[in-house]
Amino acid sequence: YLWSDQSLLSALVLCMDVGFSMSNSAPGEEPPFELAKKVIQKFVQRQVFAETKDELALVLFGTDATNNPLDQDDQYQNITVHRHLMIPDFELLVEIENQIHPENQQADWLDALVVCMDLLQTETQGKKCNRLNIVLLTDLNTQASPDNLDVIIENLKQAGITLQFFLPFRLEEDEEGEGDADRRDSGHPGTGKGLSREQKSGLEMVRHVMLEGFLSLSTYVSVSESDAIEQLCMFKRIERRPMAWPCQLTIGSALSIRIVGYKAVTEEKLKKMWITVDAQTTKRDDVKRETVYCLDDDNETEVQKDDIIQGFRYGSDIVPFSKVDQDQMKYKHDGKCFAVLGFAKQSMVQRHQFMGNQVVKMFAAKDDEHAGVALSALIRALDELQMVAIVRYAYDRRSNPQVGAAFPCIKQDYECLMYVQLPFMEDLRHFTFPSLENKKLTPSDAQLSAVDSLIDSMMLVNKDENGEQKDLFKPHNIPNPAFQRHFQCLHHRAVSPGTPLPAMEPWLQATLDRPEVIRERCRAPLEEMKRKFPLTEVEKKKKLKTSAQIFGKDAEESDAKNEKDEAEEDYNLADIAEGSVTSVGSVDPARDFRTLIKQKSLPFREVCQQLTHRIEQLLSNKDTLYYMKSITCIQAFREQSVKVNKHPPFGEYMMMWWFLLRHAVWLFYGDYDKDEVEGSTISKTEANQVYRSVYVSLINSKRS
Amino acid sequence: MITLIMDFSIKHSSYRITGRDSLVFLVDASKEMFIKGEDGQPSNFDMTMQVVRSVYMSKIISSHRDLVALVFYGTEQSKNPRNSFKHVYVYHDLDEPGAKRVQDIDSLRGEKGAQLAAETMGSGETSLGDALWCCANLYSDIKLRLSHKRLMIFTCRDEPHGGDSVKDRQARTKAGDLKETGVVIDLMHLMKPGGFNVSLFFCDVISPPEDESELGLQEEPCEKLDDLQKRVRAKEQKKRAMARLNLCLGEGLNVAVGIYATAVTARKPSAIKLYRETNEPVRSKTRTFHTQTGSLLLPSEIKKAQVYGKKQIVMERDEVDAIKKFDDPGLLLIGFKPMEKLKLHHHIQPAVFLYPEEDQVKGSACLFSALLKKCSERNVFALCRCIARRNYPPRFAALVPQHEEVDEGNAQITPPGFNVIYLPYADDFRTLDPPHYPAASQVQVDKMKEIISKLRFKYRSDAFENPVIQQHYRNLEALALDMMAPEDIEDLIMPKVEQIDSRLGPLVDEFKDLVYPENYNPESKPAAKRKTADSGGGAEKKPKVEVTEDELKVHVQNGTLAKLTVPVLKEACKQFGVRTAGTKKQELIDALVARLGS
Repeated sequence: YLWSDQSLLSALVLCMDVGFSMSNSAPGEEPPFELAKKVIQKFVQRQVFAETKDELALVLFGTDATNNPLDQDDQYQNITVHRHLMIPDFELLVEIENQIHPENQQADWLDALVVCMDLLQTETQGKKCNRLNIVLLTDLNTQASPDNLDVIIENLKQAGITLQFFLPFRLEEDEEGEGDADRRDSGHPGTGKGLSREQKSGLEMVRHVMLEGFLSLSTYVSVSESDAIEQLCMFKRIERRPMAWPCQLTIGSALSIRIVGYKAVTEEKLKKMWITVDAQTTKRDDVKRETVYCLDDDNETEVQKDDIIQGFRYGSDIVPFSKVDQDQMKYKHDGKCFAVLGFAKQSMVQRHQFMGNQVVKMFAAKDDEHAGVALSALIRALDELQMVAIVRYAYDRRSNPQVGAAFPCIKQDYECLMYVQLPFMEDLRHFTFPSLENKKLTPSDAQLSAVDSLIDSMMLVNKDENGEQKDLFKPHNIPNPAFQRHFQCLHHRAVSPGTPLPAMEPWLQATLDRPEVIRERCRAPLEEMKRKFPLTEVEKKKKLKTSAQIFGKDAEESDAKNEKDEAEEDYNLADIAEGSVTSVGSVDPARDFRTLIKQKSLPFREVCQQLTHRIEQLLSNKDTLYYMKSITCIQAFREQSVKVNKHPPFGEYMMMWWFLLRHAVWLFYGDYDKDEVEGSTISKTEANQVYRSVYVSLINSKRS
Repeated sequence: MITLIMDFSIKHSSYRITGRDSLVFLVDASKEMFIKGEDGQPSNFDMTMQVVRSVYMSKIISSHRDLVALVFYGTEQSKNPRNSFKHVYVYHDLDEPGAKRVQDIDSLRGEKGAQLAAETMGSGETSLGDALWCCANLYSDIKLRLSHKRLMIFTCRDEPHGGDSVKDRQARTKAGDLKETGVVIDLMHLMKPGGFNVSLFFCDVISPPEDESELGLQEEPCEKLDDLQKRVRAKEQKKRAMARLNLCLGEGLNVAVGIYATAVTARKPSAIKLYRETNEPVRSKTRTFHTQTGSLLLPSEIKKAQVYGKKQIVMERDEVDAIKKFDDPGLLLIGFKPMEKLKLHHHIQPAVFLYPEEDQVKGSACLFSALLKKCSERNVFALCRCIARRNYPPRFAALVPQHEEVDEGNAQITPPGFNVIYLPYADDFRTLDPPHYPAASQVQVDKMKEIISKLRFKYRSDAFENPVIQQHYRNLEALALDMMAPEDIEDLIMPKVEQIDSRLGPLVDEFKDLVYPENYNPESKPAAKRKTADSGGGAEKKPKVEVTEDELKVHVQNGTLAKLTVPVLKEACKQFGVRTAGTKKQELIDALVARLGS
């Protein structure tokens, strides 16, 4: 691959043919221009999101206008340097999207090549670029003069520039030399057949360049192949430079081996987090988040940060424990370590008990052959005995020590230990599950054979005609779809702001599903499974509450039902009211409210105000519990005010709904927006319903 | 991701779970319980107290909101809420366990504990009926909602009433009442001479297995502390699914499954913020407001952004979610692969466990069981795409069959179901540039094998406690109980160096002689080593190194030629006129071996 991930900088010129022949295509086929544009877009996209420092230029040829430094007396015409060498950014993407169109001229692709070489040489001066590349996207459909070909090749050689062609057709098998086995369908559009005279002579020249060694055959990718695009579509794999962790493997006090560890597999995450910005200004600085602390009393007395100390829960006790004390008393250790505790059978360490989220490979220290031999002895001994080393592993003094297993790993060209964390006693949960060896559950022979044929039809690893194993589905070759989708959407938003996000790309969708072959093959066995295993969904007893239930449908409908409830409530109230209620508290405001109204000790309006105030306070917590509490408050308000006045005081009523509306939004699109609150009575769709019903209530109350 | 899920389910458990779990230990305090075992084995009472203590401790660490009670029966003294029951001693009412309670239990342990028990409670008549009745009152006195109620009887007497049929009947009736109110009664029967006969009385007292398929009563009484602890722990931890999903085998073929976390990294709990004056916990409120106007911002007034290539890209909040959504939550079967295709190093997250949910989709258990059986038989795993919850991006996972295993006592060691092993994506691999060294010779390998076999042990996953967490709780314990200093912890993941050294004896030096040259010190820093070499001056030519033919032959025989440096090997080649294919070390060695090895 030409653009491999290197720590050193590279400079690259994308050189694209936009001449008129590029828009020619057979009916139903995408013109070469569109494909070439896609390739360029995807490539630049990758560079932008990878945030590499590699520089990139864009040269177009076949343009109506001419704009390049070599333009002189009819020389180098219809070639435009669209962008000089610089780090690619979104502007370039936007330009590619909006400014690059098929044009009406044709230009000599060798001329274009010269312009690119010139650009590379002049613009990389004084920069530390160690890789210079030119990528040419053309259908070769212009007359190119081969006179200077040798001079050009010589220049390429001297400048150390590599060249890659993207052609909209494939070279013929015999000519290509290393034809891919599965590209044999000759009827495929864009094959070498039917090339024009210009294209044929162009190809001759390309081959000539190739022979000079600037172009390896493997870099030939035809843009008419959908997989070429797909390859580029995969946003640059997130690459991190492995960090060396030098340490000593110790066995007892007398035997140590110098090793170095590298993370080999670990769950990669996106580097960037979302920042919050003001919707109008889209400025980050306009938004501020502030956390205040308050006591859990009725007044929610605010507490200053300085008056806060930390404590820990010890069962029912809360133990104040200052940071200083904690640091002094906490578990301390000697730091970095990879010490063998003992050796155990590999079979005793179960795969499903691997902990942590990484695998670390331990090699012998760099430039220390003796360590290499000593470690090799350990690795080979473990391998022959089918054992592992159980080790104490501590990354450094600040991190917590772990217990883990070091597995031997012998590859063709290297040996290492693979370290995986193992559980502590505290991590394990010993759940017992009912046995499945149960008469009622035991599958019949017919059922078992249905499963058998399902497995047969869905085996992903098969031997092909040549007896070679073929794996149809390798997750470890799939780029993380979350990253791909993330970048696709960001790209879209950056390039076409104001338009809705695009659908998922079909190739990405396809990588996440069953391979087509399997889908076909398992069709019949699946039908058989359906016949053999009756599955019936059990109706859920507890249905999610609808907004109607939460809010109490307006008046009549549920009154009959409520009567009984209310009777019970009254009974409870009598119970509770024994204690003196003087104001609407925060523990059970609805109850206090009812009691106060009943007591008639305070004016109705004042009690209402107290309640309103309480609701406001409750909602400022942004918590489902408090939210539900305020709903009961409003219910109480409605029910009591209907009893007393037959009509609620309009202002307060409106106020409450308004608070609720505001906070309903906060709640369900705010803090809990990331995930569904499982088991909460309200899901997101419900939140929508809530929203709507609040709205309707508002309208209704306005009317009345 | 799983830690995330766990955090999440813990955070919101109060919504989903509508009450607290509760556990009552009903312990026999008759004289028989205090009889010491042979060879100074702890008495049944002592063993029980140890188990109760460990349950208290584990509740404190993992689920402090659960309620626990400790009640003795067959005591001389009586102590219960209304003192209406004789010979029933409520030692701890149903409440959250705390430091004080652990201390109380401690005082009942050992020789002194037995003495204290005799003084405070004594042993007297037994009426299990009264004891159960008293426990029923404990439950009903609780104002909190209880979700799971369990009662464990610890006794070594299979006929507590000595054949008094009236008392037996009374106890059965009371047990029936308790069970009716949803209390699960377990028997933790302990060893007694002549064996414990459950069928004499207790079979009618305890709850039947939760469903037909569940393992019934453990027939064998517990003899060892370990067994008892295991048995209690298995019952005490209430399992809860992290998620209930459909495992889709194909369109219209959905099996309901529950996902359980069987191993979750335990962390030190986070600190609670307290008000300095009163030590009461404070609540935090977070507000988002506009910097200029100071007004609170509604969600509609906020957007999300990321910056790439100097450009800020802005999205609506719901778009940020939409990006993460690929499909509805669930497991989709992709296909099957032979087990050897599951690579050891394809590890990114702890595994979770899959078990059918028959009460969601009827027929799930049967299909699941058939799938499990066949996968296990054919030694294949099922490759699935897994979306654990709403708006979670997909991960691929291997469903690895695990069949049920039980120990001699019929207690389940491993449950039947699939282990879900999450698989890495291409992005999760790092490109490494491994160093290349000559492989060790068989002589060297064999010496290491000797070392390994000296240090062999049987690995058990629950053998190592986390010293960080243990220390933390010891510290809290000390503070909570006003102890002078926290109890010492034993760091179980510290290598026992002296023991290792003495077991290995001369093997270490023998191995070192085989692999390391003289004066080689693996402890020295490589940089320092190079420095000394440099300080020697580059100009000064190193003294010519030579080895005798005999020495070389020994090296060849032992396969230890690699211990020699390249210049020495080159010199040796020259000396014996050996022609080499190249100048790489391995090539030099190969050439020398070919010449001298025969």
